[in-house]
Amino acid sequence: MNRRNFLKFSSAGIASAMLGTAGLISWVPRAHAATIRKTYYITEGFITQPDGVDVYFRGFSSSTNSLNTPGEHIIAQEGDTIDITIVNTLGTSHSFVVDGMFDSGRIRGGESRRFTFEAKNPGTHMYYDGRNAPYNRVTGLHGGLAVMPAGSDDELYDGSNRFVQQYFWIFNDIDPAWNNAVRNGQTPPSNYTPRYFTLNGLSGRPPGAPGYGDPTIDSMHDPRSALYGGLGDRALVRCLNPGLVQHAVHTHANHMEWLATNGQPRPDVWLKDIVPLDGNGSVDVIFPFEPAPDAWPPMTNSTLQQAKDEGRKSAYPMHLHDEMTQTAGGGLYMFGALTDIFYEPK
Amino acid sequence: MGRRRKTEPAPEPTEDTTTTTTSGGGGMDGGGGMMGNACYMYPVTALETAPLNNPDVTFNRGVYINGSMTMDDGNSVTIWGFTDGGGMGGGGGGMGGGDMGGGNVFPSPAMRLTQGQVAHTNLNVGMMMFHTIHHHGIEPEYRSDGVGHVSGDVNGNYTYQWKPAHAGTYFYHCHTNTVLHAEMGMYGALIVDPPEGPGTAFENGPTYDVEAVWAVDEIDSSWHNLGWTAGTCGGDVGLNDLNPDYFIITGVDGAQSALTAPGIAVDMNRGQRLLVRYICAGYLPQEIRFGGLDVEIIASDGRPLPNAVTTDKINAVSAERYDVIIEPTTRGTYTVEIDIKDWVTGNVLGTARTRINVN
Repeated sequence: MNRRNFLKFSSAGIASAMLGTAGLISWVPRAHAATIRKTYYITEGFITQPDGVDVYFRGFSSSTNSLNTPGEHIIAQEGDTIDITIVNTLGTSHSFVVDGMFDSGRIRGGESRRFTFEAKNPGTHMYYDGRNAPYNRVTGLHGGLAVMPAGSDDELYDGSNRFVQQYFWIFNDIDPAWNNAVRNGQTPPSNYTPRYFTLNGLSGRPPGAPGYGDPTIDSMHDPRSALYGGLGDRALVRCLNPGLVQHAVHTHANHMEWLATNGQPRPDVWLKDIVPLDGNGSVDVIFPFEPAPDAWPPMTNSTLQQAKDEGRKSAYPMHLHDEMTQTAGGGLYMFGALTDIFYEPK
Repeated sequence: MGRRRKTEPAPEPTEDTTTTTTSGGGGMDGGGGMMGNACYMYPVTALETAPLNNPDVTFNRGVYINGSMTMDDGNSVTIWGFTDGGGMGGGGGGMGGGDMGGGNVFPSPAMRLTQGQVAHTNLNVGMMMFHTIHHHGIEPEYRSDGVGHVSGDVNGNYTYQWKPAHAGTYFYHCHTNTVLHAEMGMYGALIVDPPEGPGTAFENGPTYDVEAVWAVDEIDSSWHNLGWTAGTCGGDVGLNDLNPDYFIITGVDGAQSALTAPGIAVDMNRGQRLLVRYICAGYLPQEIRFGGLDVEIIASDGRPLPNAVTTDKINAVSAERYDVIIEPTTRGTYTVEIDIKDWVTGNVLGTARTRINVN
């Protein structure tokens, strides 16, 4: 792609391109190792933010004419071979890195490279562009890699608390001045002031706002992000933060089981309604979908069924509690990094 | 702007499983949530009401927006908060520093109750504005969760029903245009005692003789001149960028005043056990150090830890709570320091201080 021929995307176009293959992470364990093949196209373009401002991004995309930030996730099991092809459609050099696992080295502008590496270290990892750090990563060149323990379909690592379903929450914070500097081949200013905050590339839309309820626009209804479950549908959430801000991840309705931070299992599993998420870091939590413990009368499958029958949604938010992240462009509360948690009857 | 909804009397929860009415939704000008000038503040559907049971304890809260806090440098900062409506029992509690007994106090009057009690929080918003009460860490039925847009903004009266299952340290805050309203001061402590009552941290848990609530917060005074809908109609009002110039502990300036403020600075005797309920009430990361004293972290976010952790400092992010037991073995004055840090660089932006005086 010609560097001057920027693609322009609405967030709707990006998400709809991904929904066909993404969503809730599915996984079936195997007795033997396999090869997981992925091709990413490094592309660039503009994404329109909730306040109407077009902001420049780069991404590990699923085609030459799309812009995915984050890139589609990879899921493999320990011992698998990950076979990656990177097609760099830009004029600038980039790389593909998974800390502790693989570093492609420089992939020049216009170059295509294929490489393999072994999936190891069960847990949650980020793949990202390690060049021009941290600018290329923050500008959108990142995605999630889940490594399952061999033969397991319900553990984060061998012996961890068990889950039923799993998701990625990939947060990012965006200072358009930085992205614009990257676009122009300049070093971004030393002062970093993020103005947009995203979850899996999207941001929230409150009721009444254009795009509210549209899963391709509204992060509160994006099936990659929103948690849907009945009682007992324990959801592992793999949180990644390619951005620079230290966040406070907050769930309503249930405390989270805090399993790991930055890839390290915690000595004890604490029950938390707030979990810290470092810049360029990760946390792994299980949202247990237990009855909301302080509900009165108690929450049961019957009360959830009654709500559904009456057309009511038993919805709670997940949002970052460093509340500046709930804004866009310096205002527009609830157009930031948040999603919904939907309790459903079984 | 939206029409003001008529204000209805507070619900009288006298019958089991009655349904109360409320104002606070629907009928907005502009339709479909798109105000004529594309604002995103007001509810677009009627606020759902939940069946109510007879409460064991009731907290009545109104709203004030004309508060003022005088800082150690002599400057005043506008504060918003919740009032103690009084009249229905419960409420109050005298927790933490400052006068938290009622009226326009900051932080807002504490809520304190016992695990297993059915609680009602009656919120009355008599002014032409919307607010909510979210009991942070309390996990009720969704209609009592108090989240603007998700479970509904309140104008008029609304009753939240909840029954805390776990003793511990919580807080409550407004969840409408939260980024601004909580920064303006719309929060208060929420303490759930175990069946044993005050003096025990949680059921079958550690005991304590002295108690302190330290809600540590940062204030960006440039935000405190904004209106309650700031930013919700579009436009850049700077709510992405918090640059605090004051650092406070439980409503008292941490520059000097909190060093000696009654109810914040702790006076205790050697041999006594102090329970500190530390609430990271701001938005930025904090590090709290206890003047060289070792502390035992026994609980966080209203849940006991599987194994207590001994440390001399804690790093926390927004809205985390840590309950720590301190049992000093040496008389003296220990200066507690809480650094408030930049959310990107981790650089210390300011430090709030108080003291533990061991006699």
